[in-house]
This record gives sequence, C-alpha cells and structure tokens, in this order.
Amino acid sequence: METVVQILVSGLTLGAMYAASTIGLSLVWGAMGVLNMAHGALLTIGGYASYSAVLHVGLPWYLGLPAAMIVSFVVGLLIYHIIFRFMYRHPAFETNVIIATVGLAIFLEQVTLLIYGAYPFLQPFSIEEGFFVSGVFVRFQNVVILVLAVATMLLVAALLSRTRMGRAIRATALNREAAQLMGVNVGRVFAQVMGIAGVVAAISGVMLSSITTLAPTMGYDPMLKAFIICVIAGLGNVPGALIAAFILGLFEAVVQFAVGVRFGFPALLLLVIIALIWRPYGVFGRRQVRRV
Amino acid sequence: MSTPLLEVDSLDAGYHGQRVLRDISFGVPDGGLITIIGPNGHGKTTLLRAVSGLIHPMAGEIRFEGKALGRSRVDQIVARGIVHIPQGDMIFSEMTVRDNLMMGAYLPVPYRRADANLKEVYALLPRLEEREGQIASTLSGGERRMLAVGRGMMTGGRILLIDEPSLGLAPIAIDTIYGLIQSLKEAGRTLLLVEENASRVADLADRIYLLDHGQFVWQGTASELDQHDEILETYLGA
Repeated sequence: METVVQILVSGLTLGAMYAASTIGLSLVWGAMGVLNMAHGALLTIGGYASYSAVLHVGLPWYLGLPAAMIVSFVVGLLIYHIIFRFMYRHPAFETNVIIATVGLAIFLEQVTLLIYGAYPFLQPFSIEEGFFVSGVFVRFQNVVILVLAVATMLLVAALLSRTRMGRAIRATALNREAAQLMGVNVGRVFAQVMGIAGVVAAISGVMLSSITTLAPTMGYDPMLKAFIICVIAGLGNVPGALIAAFILGLFEAVVQFAVGVRFGFPALLLLVIIALIWRPYGVFGRRQVRRV
Repeated sequence: MSTPLLEVDSLDAGYHGQRVLRDISFGVPDGGLITIIGPNGHGKTTLLRAVSGLIHPMAGEIRFEGKALGRSRVDQIVARGIVHIPQGDMIFSEMTVRDNLMMGAYLPVPYRRADANLKEVYALLPRLEEREGQIASTLSGGERRMLAVGRGMMTGGRILLIDEPSLGLAPIAIDTIYGLIQSLKEAGRTLLLVEENASRVADLADRIYLLDHGQFVWQGTASELDQHDEILETYLGA
C-alpha cells in the first residue's frame, strides 16, 4: 500500500508538471505550427523570476509565482516581437523559428548563468509541511503542484473555448488565411499565444524548481518531456496532451520504482518509439490536423 | 453617376513578381451586383485576393468609399467593410457552426451586433440554425457553402466578394446558394461575384465583365451578353 501511494504521489506530481510544461508548447504549435525551442528558457526564467522576486525584491514567498508569471509573460511577448513578428509571413517560417529559438535558448541560458551562476538555489515558493497518507509523507507542495496544474489546464481550456480571443486563436490555428478574412490580426493572435505560453511556462518552472532546485539548464528536461508528450498526443492537441502527461508521469514513476530511477527516461523514449510506429500522427492525433 | 463604392483602377497584380492581372479597371456601385466571369486560371481569384489585401497590387490602385486601400493589412481592410468569401469555403472545420458564425462577428463593431446579425443569418439560412452545435467538417458541401456565406454576412461588411459560389455543388445546392445571393441583392447588399460560368449569374448581375488571360476582354449587361453568343463561345466554349 505504501508503495502504491508513493508511486501515485510521485507519478501525479510528475504528470502535473509535464502537463503544465506541455500546454505552452502545444499551444504555440497548434496556433502557429512552429516549435518554440526557447520554451524551456521561459520555464527557467519563470523559476528564477520567482526566486528574485522573493530574495532580491523582498516580496513574500507566495507572490513569487505571480511575479514569475508576469516576467515570463513579458518575455513571451518579447520573443514574438523580436523574432516571430519578422518571420511568420515567410514560407520557411517553421524551420527558421526552430533555428532562431534554439539560438535564443542558448543565449538566455548563458544570461541566467551570468547573473545567477550555477549554484542550485532553492525555490522560495515551496511549502515544506505535509501530511501522512497510509504511512507516506506527502508534502503540501505536491498538492499545490497538482491543483495548480489542473487549474491552469482548465483556465487555458476555458480561455480557448469560451472567449472571443480564444475563438480567434483556434480559428487562426485551423486556417490562418480565413481568420485574416474575418478581420483577425494574425500577428496579434501570435503575440497573445506567446504571452499565454509564457505565463503557463512560468507556472511549470516555479513548480519544477520547488521540488528540485533552480539551475540555468532546468528548462531542458521538461521541454524534452513536453516534446515527448506532444508527439504521443499528436502535436497541437491540448486535451490529448494533458491525458498523455499524466499517463507518462505515472508510467515514469512506476518504471523508476520497479526498475530504477535512471531507467525512467529511456523507458519514456521507448514508449515514444512504440507509439509512433503504432500511430504515426500521435495516439490521439489525427492526420494533418492542427488544433488547439 | 456617383462614385462607386469599390473602384479598381488600372490594377496589376500577381504572385512572386509574375503578373497575373494587367490593367484591370472597374467599379462596384453601392447596392449593385457586379459579376466577373472567365475560364479558370485566368486571374479571377487573384483579383479578389488583391481587393481583400491578401496580395498587394503591383501597380494601380483600389479605392473603397473613395479612399485608397494602399498596402493595408487584411484585417484592416475587413474592418473597413470589405468581406471576402473565399473559394473552397475555408470554414473552420473543427469548430461548431455557431463558432464559425461568431468568427464572422470577430471585429468589435459586428461583435456588438452579433446577436441581431445571427438572427438575420438564421432567418435566411434556417439549416444553419438546425446545425448550430455541429462541427463544421461534418456538414455537406452545400451547407458548408451556406456557412461560408453566413459567416461573411456576420461581418456586417459593406461589400461581399464571393468567389465561385457554385463551385463543386450539386444542382439543388446551387439553386439554394443563388436563391441566397438573390435575397442578399434584394436586401440591398453590394456584391462582387466571381464565377466560371455566366449561366447562373447573368440575370442577377447589373454588369458582367469577362476576364481572360488577366485582362478584361468584354463587358456589358446580361441582355447584351445574350445578343453575343459568340463571346461565350470564344472564351468559355459554352
């Protein structure tokens, strides 16, 4: 029983964090059809922004998260205005963005390293206390992570399905030209998507660093997992990505417990290969359909 | 005669430096229905794309309500009241019928009137109301076309540019679409219609232009077209 609870807690926490890292990536892919390789950097910036807001600015610890959301929102908008804005009309947009954002990710990582160094700071947005579930100690932080991740997903889903802005994002994803003909300023939609992706990335960056530590390279691993989840779910499919995130989180937790921690990631990759052979467009994906 | 609502003046347009249209000039009067016919691949769609701003003119000018469109963005042109209903519908396939229509009312001005406009569209196209919650990709070809026109109406635009409304439809669906176009005309809407074939549009159109190899080779009214069977025969093989 203790084992099951332990696996569940760790699997759900992993799944929640993966889900939160995936939303932004999937949203950007769905709306613009591009992979934002600087997504991990947005996560990292969020984590450090929360740290600085509390340690350097002196805000109370619980304001670390909102501060991080604002900072990553602004950085997301900047990525649009500095890079995407000049590229999205070009036919080679998809490739150009990958190259440009890889460069940006390396640059941002070095800037973080310059400012903060490689010291593994602890995330102040963290609750050490906890409670026991059939003999297993569960930190409140794990509960916070799960609740935050689920709330974020629901909010993003509601935003996409119920608001005028969300409808325009979905329409742009389905047919950019038709959306323009309805009066949608596609550039503005892309900026909005990057802003939302930034906010969501900050949430996952703060959550991730709250159970590990801060590091300039901390964004790479969740971004890689987000890719895996996107591939399994079908790129651009947000609801599918959420289900896949929790399944993969639990799967990784089981493998880590049963086989060994270092086998968790290889097992995930093996799963991707199998999934892609079985369903080349993703388990929940459909052929050539992008959607958010 | 007063200035037309939409004026195209000595327009050259095309893609990647290749001219598709040469020296195109015509006007669409307020409340009028102008039709451009011609064989496929001769620039009809290019002309509509130039008016709606999807491509920019290489030479010449397009004026709307007397003011040049210049190099405005597509969404700015839509905001001024020019609404392009593209060939092949381009509906938002994974969205519901209602969400598709609401996208037509995306801009702030039509958004405030969305409920009234939606009623108007549903009154004219009751089939869309029946299918309100259905995902657009499950509609039939005729229903998709109705949705595309309905979505265009939701914009509340001053002029509708409709590209090949009868393309690929069964005869009965073509009847419905032309019934709809007739009611739009009777309601005083300004329309610019592009068709490959003159047979369905001739009687509705105030003036017909024949586009061949990127240039107007003939223009006149429907009755004039009737008197010159050789024109259709030469250019359209009809």
